[in-house]
Amino acid sequence: MTVNTGGRMTGAMEKARDIISSYRGPKIRIMEVCGTHTHEIFRLGIRSLLSEDISLISGPGCPVCVTPVSYIDEAVMLAIDKGCTILTFGDLVRVPGSDSSLQAERGRGAKVRVVYSPLDAEVYAREHPDEECVFLSVGFETTTPSSCIALENAVSDGIGNFSLLCANKTMPAAYRAMMNTTDAYLYPGHVCAVMGLNDCRQMLELGMSGVVAGFTAPELLTALAVIVRKFQEGEPFLVNAYPRVVHENGSPEARAIVDRYMQPCSSRWRGIGDMEDSGMRLRDEYAAYDARRKYDLPHIEGRESRGCRCGHVLQGECTPRDCPLFGRACTPDHPVGACMVSSEGACSAFYLYGKQ
Amino acid sequence: MDLTGKTVTLAHGAGGRQTAELIGQVFKAHFSNPYFTADDAAVLPRPGGRIAMTTDGFIVSPRFFNGGNIGKLSICGTVNDLACMGARPLYLTCAFVIEEGFPFDRLEEIVSSMEKTAKEAGVRIVAGDTKVAGKGQVDGVFITTTGVGVIDDQVNTSGKNAKPGDCVLVTGDIGRHGCCILLERDEFGIDAKVSSDCAPLWNSVDAVLKEVPDVHVIRDATRGGVGTVLYEIAAESGCGFELEQESIPVDPAVGGVCGMLGLDPMYLACEGTLVMIVPREKATKVLNILREQEHTGDAAVIGYVTDTEKGRVVMRTSIGTQTYLPQPGNELLPRIC
Amino acid sequence: MCVGLSARVVRVNAGSAIVDASGARREVSAQLLSDLEPGDYVMVHAGAAIAKITENEEEQADDLMEEYLV
Repeated sequence: MTVNTGGRMTGAMEKARDIISSYRGPKIRIMEVCGTHTHEIFRLGIRSLLSEDISLISGPGCPVCVTPVSYIDEAVMLAIDKGCTILTFGDLVRVPGSDSSLQAERGRGAKVRVVYSPLDAEVYAREHPDEECVFLSVGFETTTPSSCIALENAVSDGIGNFSLLCANKTMPAAYRAMMNTTDAYLYPGHVCAVMGLNDCRQMLELGMSGVVAGFTAPELLTALAVIVRKFQEGEPFLVNAYPRVVHENGSPEARAIVDRYMQPCSSRWRGIGDMEDSGMRLRDEYAAYDARRKYDLPHIEGRESRGCRCGHVLQGECTPRDCPLFGRACTPDHPVGACMVSSEGACSAFYLYGKQ
Repeated sequence: MDLTGKTVTLAHGAGGRQTAELIGQVFKAHFSNPYFTADDAAVLPRPGGRIAMTTDGFIVSPRFFNGGNIGKLSICGTVNDLACMGARPLYLTCAFVIEEGFPFDRLEEIVSSMEKTAKEAGVRIVAGDTKVAGKGQVDGVFITTTGVGVIDDQVNTSGKNAKPGDCVLVTGDIGRHGCCILLERDEFGIDAKVSSDCAPLWNSVDAVLKEVPDVHVIRDATRGGVGTVLYEIAAESGCGFELEQESIPVDPAVGGVCGMLGLDPMYLACEGTLVMIVPREKATKVLNILREQEHTGDAAVIGYVTDTEKGRVVMRTSIGTQTYLPQPGNELLPRIC
Repeated sequence: MCVGLSARVVRVNAGSAIVDASGARREVSAQLLSDLEPGDYVMVHAGAAIAKITENEEEQADDLMEEYLV
């Protein structure tokens, strides 16, 4: 099986492109929930193909963007005050906290190591028994299972110097919070790969439309075209336009392992605020692996930057270019707001790929 | 001479008998040529015409990697810098800073590949210097090379010379050195057969300039890769670029590694790949010449110079749209979550 | 949010798998999927295979076109 079309425009892609380019009618607001969708849509220049009557809103599905400032402050505190080795995805290294970032602290001697997988972080801890290792556990339903596998390995290996600083998040609360700002969701394909279609069906019952989408050019083009066609029929809809990866029931194994180690909790989303049942924390029986409890971290109230309109951008109330800081005080090198800090954030994508 | 087990000590840097031994056993043995000097400076015949002169410091971890080592790199880097100015490399000097305890046989291996690479590029190593630093003060060995070359009268390459309508070529697939080093450091548990593209490119450049002396720009896509270099040239020339995404050659394994880590090969370093900007009507000729040469068989035209989007690199995608190639950032970090 | 890469399963052993994406190989967790076999294609994210890939992109696009876009 060849997996990708290798860049050729196929008949289906051309048809899909025509549909999204030539649409005329009532305005359709589509929110791409997922930051990787935002990134790929910009990288592929898909916005430039859209009819004027279609607007794309870059939603809250970038874990780095919605992780509050105080989380970085906690990580910095662990690295500096507690002398921990911080293991993290590369995505978080440059993100500014209230006063500093992990990158800046690494320059001053803090141990910060970039890993590809939470499992690698656990292996590192096993191989460095004299270091206190903390993995920065961020991400949505797609990523959380890997953190839990790492934790399971640590528990079964009897690794005492490994813990998680959890800021894992779940999408359904955000789906509900954003539903009045958009006509249809471009659902995050890899979240659905793990969760199956159940969460999307519940949204459909609330009258919210959406299409589950993959990440390649043919997948994004066809998913957007399906939205346009179904929207014109006038009824709420749900279509899985990524069936090669997203199956009805997702991965029950992934959900089971998350359930074994974590439980839902209220969580703060940068730019949006606190939402009930929108985060995951470690269960009490695994408190020894919870960095906040293990190192007795105080509650930190992070200082958000002023004047930044990220909250409005995330909710589709304005575009990055409407923000007075965009491209001036706030750039990828000196990010002020949540949406500029990650390369998957809406402001960063607008800035970097800005031709569209 | 058997150097096994022998290591460099601070005495080797003190200037006495042991320094002479180090130079004799390792450097002289390999760098021997009529101009190589034991005096304070090499005395050389004056070349005719304009000369180009450049210097570059090399620190790389690991020092030995698939496709080369720091020694080969230190020659390629300076030879290629000269080649970018259209200068035939003539003379090179090299300065070593060696960490106390560094094994002689590894040093010999480094020096031997310097000799081999210099020979291939037709350049003579005429003077050298060694310093030994205490344990922990340097990481193994650092090398600085300085090169002098001579430029043919008709040749005039500079980042400022890019003209709207010119074609942009790369002399090979991109990002292989950066990817190779990333894999060698083994921080991400990824395994792939990727060897560094590290190579001296004067012969390729020479072949091109003999037939097409009016090449406008040559630039080696080292730190920051092709993407960074194009943004530099865009700023220097006041022009823009339009690239065809699909025509940019990338080794499939490099693509696979980048896919896993969310990286873009456009920003990964090359050590044997140049960006060349040539008048459009000469592009096919240049391409054919490059493809005949040893290290540039995969050369490709990847786009052209524009006067519309000044200072920007525009990418034409596989689906016919246009986007900006993002401006290069600071540190390359894997993007996962 | 969730960078994924499609890769072919080369070997499976005890909860982990070696996957290959155009020549780039890595060990990933196979704990989230039951009965993986060599030759299967999977979507890999953050060191775990999160889903089996059951058809190729082109077939998927053609099916969608037939059902929704004609």
